[in-house]
Amino acid sequence: MSALLRAESLNKSFGGVRAVQNVSIAVPENSIFALIGPNGAGKSTLLNLLSGIYQPDAGSLYLENKPLIGLPAHRRVRLGIARTFQKIRLFKQLTLLENVLAGFHIHQDAPFWKSLFYGNTGRFRDEARELLEFVGLAGHAGERAGALPYGQQRMLEIARALATRPRLFMLDEPAAGLNAAEMEFLLKRLEQIGRRGVTVVVVEHNMDLVMNVAQRVFVMDHGEPLFEGTPREVQANPAVIEAYLGGEFQ
Amino acid sequence: MSARIISFLIIIIVVAALPWLLTTPYWRGILVLCAMNVLLALSLNLVIGYTGQLNLGQSAFFGIGAYVSTILVKTYGWNFWLASLAAVGAAGLLGLALAAFAVRLRGHYLAIASLGFAVITYQVLINWENVTQGVRGIYGILPPVGSTSALFYLVAGIAVLVYVLLDNLVRSPIGDTLRAIREDEISAASLGINGAIWKAFAFGLGAAIAGLAGCFYPGFVGTLVPDAFNIVESFTMMAMVIVGGMGTMIGPVIGAVVLTFLPELLRGFGELRLMIYGLALMLVVLFMPGGIVQAWMALKARIS
Repeated sequence: MSALLRAESLNKSFGGVRAVQNVSIAVPENSIFALIGPNGAGKSTLLNLLSGIYQPDAGSLYLENKPLIGLPAHRRVRLGIARTFQKIRLFKQLTLLENVLAGFHIHQDAPFWKSLFYGNTGRFRDEARELLEFVGLAGHAGERAGALPYGQQRMLEIARALATRPRLFMLDEPAAGLNAAEMEFLLKRLEQIGRRGVTVVVVEHNMDLVMNVAQRVFVMDHGEPLFEGTPREVQANPAVIEAYLGGEFQ
Repeated sequence: MSARIISFLIIIIVVAALPWLLTTPYWRGILVLCAMNVLLALSLNLVIGYTGQLNLGQSAFFGIGAYVSTILVKTYGWNFWLASLAAVGAAGLLGLALAAFAVRLRGHYLAIASLGFAVITYQVLINWENVTQGVRGIYGILPPVGSTSALFYLVAGIAVLVYVLLDNLVRSPIGDTLRAIREDEISAASLGINGAIWKAFAFGLGAAIAGLAGCFYPGFVGTLVPDAFNIVESFTMMAMVIVGGMGTMIGPVIGAVVLTFLPELLRGFGELRLMIYGLALMLVVLFMPGGIVQAWMALKARIS
């Protein structure tokens, strides 16, 4: 399997804190890749480096062979990188449908004069409704996003990001705050997204999720890489158990 | 769609009838001012209401439209319409220039930067005497059309046209993009939206429309002095947007109408007039934070 996303020796410091040190990863195409580690391990920082919210102090980063360093977040989306946020960032005052429609931004091609003289030039309404259905929110299209229960807000953020039609989809703790039924639903959807040919990177605390869906697991601790392998190898690795898993899997 | 056309026709009829209902020259003058204020409120609402950019510099673009068009007509002998076109372009370009700096700023910082721009523009109008005549003012400016009611029809017609175009714009995918930036810029960037470019777009378009309103002001008053574009005007425009309901299309129109006519209706109170006006503004913001439009929606929901 060739790597879709390749990062070499990424470094990022904030003041004196070295949030990410010497991290190199290769995310294989068409896989579900999990990023785990204890709180403060640098997972979210790494995701922000990959998605372009931060630029690294040093290191290189490629999507296939395209260099990503220096590209702002909005330009990386056009190359096929989408993401969700650990702390949900929906457009709260907008409806669910409007949230997902905004996700089609890079695919809009109606000329400006058409927007002025016709309005309503969007041709993605049906597709947006399909995405809402995919995440289990079909009946709520006209509701305000901020009024949704927490778990559904997470699913809406996933639908909105999918509207960009990503090749690489990165989720920052998508299971945080979900109940058991919602978790089950999320797992199924992640697998489906993976089967559609989208490469998935998931930062997660929830071990059930990681062990069930991920093919590769990358473990970080104190901003540094600790171990990489299959979920089974990760579970058996003494260093990982020491740093993170504690007694949970012994 | 048909509901839209019906409300459009009602607006046309109301606009057409107004000079027949308010027949004194004084009230017809207020009508012209009202149409101008509607244009200004629409322009500011695009920036504040839809894109979420706290712009306190709108009075400057109003003034640039007024001065550029008047100077081109009076000093260089241009035709009014050509001069207006140039004035709209100038206001729009200056809006883009301000946006080039301002798009990096957010919230309070943007408010201060745009306020600074309004102060600078005001000072330039006062001090660049060999071009603007400074505080002495420019006199004997003729309106583009003969009568006050014709001027009202002209400005109101343009306001209706601008309303329809902006209404289309905010219901198009561009509207989705602007609202996304208003709600959360980082989130918008994660969907591929270049916030800087779209904020500059809203700023520039808003400035151009304010400049367009400015083209009609000098001919209406007959004279042009910098004081008409004092920064207080920026706050009056913002009050119109907020009182009516920002982020809706009809709200700022209602706000502009109410805040144009209210001071006139209060003239009977003499000295107390401005205090009552100020108190009314405070009460609206306190009890109807979403403006008249939201209060109306809430009332309708309670009744049904």
